Amino acid sequence: MITCEDFFVEFGDYLENQVSPEVRKELELHLSQCRACHVLYDSTCKTVKIVTESSSFELPKSVADPIIDRVMAKLRTGPG
Amino acid sequence: MSFLRAVRLDDKFGPFVEFQETLGFVPNLLRAQALLPRVIEAQTKLESAVRLREGAISRIQKERILLCVAADRQDKYCVAVDSRVLSSLGAPDRQIDDLLNTCCHASLSAPDLASLQFCLKLSRHAPSVSREDIEALRACGFEDESILEAVVVTALAVYRCTLSVGLGPEPDFGPQKIASRRVDPPREVTSHAFLPDSHDAVQRKGPYLAAPYLSPKTFAPFAIVQKSHGFIPNFFRSQTLRPDLLEAELEAVGRILVPEDVLTRTQKECILLAVSAANLNSYCVAMHCNLLRGLGMSAEEGDQIAVDHHESDLSEPDSALLDFAVKLGVRFSEFSGRDIVNLRTFGFSDEQILECEVVIALNNFANTLQMGLGIEPDFEPPFVLGQNKVHLPVAGNRPMEHGFVTASLTGVQDPDAGLVAQAQGGKLEAFEELVRRHSQLIYRALVAILGDPVEAQDAMQDTLLSAFKHIAGFQGRSKFSTWLVSIARNAAFQRLRGRREVESLDEGECEEDHNFRPRQVRAWQDNPEQCCSKSEIRQLVEKGISGLPPKYRVVVMLRDVEQLSTDEVARQLGLSVPAVKTRLLRARLMLREWLSPHFAASVRRSTP
Repeated sequence: MITCEDFFVEFGDYLENQVSPEVRKELELHLSQCRACHVLYDSTCKTVKIVTESSSFELPKSVADPIIDRVMAKLRTGPG
Repeated sequence: MSFLRAVRLDDKFGPFVEFQETLGFVPNLLRAQALLPRVIEAQTKLESAVRLREGAISRIQKERILLCVAADRQDKYCVAVDSRVLSSLGAPDRQIDDLLNTCCHASLSAPDLASLQFCLKLSRHAPSVSREDIEALRACGFEDESILEAVVVTALAVYRCTLSVGLGPEPDFGPQKIASRRVDPPREVTSHAFLPDSHDAVQRKGPYLAAPYLSPKTFAPFAIVQKSHGFIPNFFRSQTLRPDLLEAELEAVGRILVPEDVLTRTQKECILLAVSAANLNSYCVAMHCNLLRGLGMSAEEGDQIAVDHHESDLSEPDSALLDFAVKLGVRFSEFSGRDIVNLRTFGFSDEQILECEVVIALNNFANTLQMGLGIEPDFEPPFVLGQNKVHLPVAGNRPMEHGFVTASLTGVQDPDAGLVAQAQGGKLEAFEELVRRHSQLIYRALVAILGDPVEAQDAMQDTLLSAFKHIAGFQGRSKFSTWLVSIARNAAFQRLRGRREVESLDEGECEEDHNFRPRQVRAWQDNPEQCCSKSEIRQLVEKGISGLPPKYRVVVMLRDVEQLSTDEVARQLGLSVPAVKTRLLRARLMLREWLSPHFAASVRRSTP
C-alpha cells in the first residue's frame, strides 16, 4: 500500500504517462482512496490542459511579419 | 600472471575469505583485479547474491547456465572454473562433458533445457530476445522470479567472461575440452541501424516480468537512487521481485561508477555509451546520453559518441579508450594482451585500464539484463538501434561533412533538411521560408527566457540575423529547429547578462525543488475552462507563467505551451531529463496554485 508521499514521488511521471503498469495500478488504487491526492491529481491535469490549450504567448502574424521582413531586407542589401 | 601489473592482496581480504568459504578457493579472476580492491568487492557483491546462494532456481541450475555461456563464448578460463564448481555440487562428469560439447542434450529435464537455451540466446544475441521467449519459459512452468534469476545469472556470466578476456588470468585448474564448433555467432555490429518506423514497437515491447511497486520509503537503496538520479530508472524498477539482487547490483554500481579516483565519471559514462551503442541497446544509449548531459556534455556530442566517437570532440587518448572498450565489450574474440599494451602508449595506467575493463563488464551485465527483461526506456532514445541493415553512411562519405544535412541524428528525417541545404548555399528565399516556419517556436523560446513579450520581439531580430550568419556552420547534428532555439537562447542570455539574471536560469536542483508541496486542496470545477472567456484564460495563464521564476518558466513554456517532448526540452536547454521533469512538475504545481482561486469548485457556488 503506497502513501501520499510515495504518490507524490511518482506524480510527475504519472502525469506524463510514464509509469509501468504495476506502479500505475498502485497509484490508481491510492487515488481511489485518498481525497487530497485525488484533488491534486485532478486539478493538476486541468492546469496542464488549460495551459496547453490557452494559445498563450502567440506571436500574431501582424507582429511577426514586419520583424521577418525587416531582417530579410537587411540581409538582401548585404553587409554594410 | 595476467595482462595487468600484479599486486598481492592478503588472503584475509573480506571477498577472498567469502570465496574461500563458499567455493573452497579464490578464483584468479578476482586476484587479477588486486590493483583496485573496490572492484573485487563489487564483483563479490554480485556473485554472492546472484550465484553463491540458493534462490528461485538452484545453485546447480545457476552453475549450468554459467558453464554453458562460458563454453559458448570459448572462454577457457571460466569453463575450467565453472566445471570444477559444478562437479563439486554433485553434477556427474558425463553431464559436464555433455554441457561442454553438445550443450543442450545433457540428460536434462525439458524445462532445464528450455531455460539453458533461453540463456544462451540471451548471451549470444540479446537483441533477439522477445516476450515470446519469456512466454515459452512460463509455459514450461517457470515463475517470473525464476526467470528473473536466470536472466541475472546470464548477465553475471557475461560480466565474468568479459573480465576473463580482458584480464587474461592464470587458470585456476587444468583446461577442459570445449567443442570447437562453438564460435561467436555472426553479429551485425559494424554500424547502427535506425528504425524510426518501428520506434514504438521497439519501445513498447516490455517489461516482460511482473514488477511489484517498491517504495523508496521502505527500500533504502531506492531512496538513495531517487536522491542521486532524481528518479528511479526502469532498469531497477523492473527487478523489484528480488530486492536482494537489486541491493547487490546497486552496491556494485556504487563501487564501480561513483569513485573518481581512477577514471573520471565522464570517461566511464562515455565507455558505457559507446559499448551500449555497439550492443545496439537503445535503452542504455538513452540513459547514458542523459547522464552525460547531466555531467555537462552537449546532447549533440553525446549522440556523436554513440554513432561514431571518432567524429566527436574527444581527445585522442579518450578516443583510443573507447576503441578498446568496444573491442573488449563486443568484438571480444579479437581482443588480446596487445590491446592493453597499445592503450598504455596513450598514457593510461594499469589501474585505469582495469577500471575501464570492469566498467565494460558492468555494461555487458546491464545490457544483458535490459534485453532479457525487456526494460522500457526512461527517456525517449535519441535514436533506436536495431537489427535491420539500414546503415549510416560510412565515415568520410557523410553528407554532413560537406556541410549539408540529409538526416538528423535523432533518427528522424529533418523536414527542414532540403531548405537548410539551399540556405547554406546562399539562397535567401529558403532561409526566409525556414524562419517563417519556426517564428512561433523562436518567439516562445525568447519569451520563456526573457519573460517579457516586447523584449522578446526585439530579441527576435537579433536571433534571425545571428542564425543567418552561422547557418553555414550548422552540421546537422541536431534538428534545425533545435539549433534555431539554441541561437535564440544565446540571444536571450546575452540580454539577461545585462540584467545579471543568468544564474537564476542555470542554477542546479535545490532542496526546494524536491520539497515543494501544494497548498491548495480545494477541488476544482468539472469544466473550469468554461467559466471564463478564452481571452481571459489566456491572460490568466500568461500572467501566471510570466510570474514564475525563470528556470521553471522556460521548462513549462517549451513543454506545455510549445508542446515539445520532455526529451526535446532537455536537449534544447542542455539539461538532463530528470532535471526537466523535476522543474516541470514544480512549474505545473505553481501554476496550479496560481489558477486554483479562479477555478475551485467553491468559486462557482459564490458566483451565481
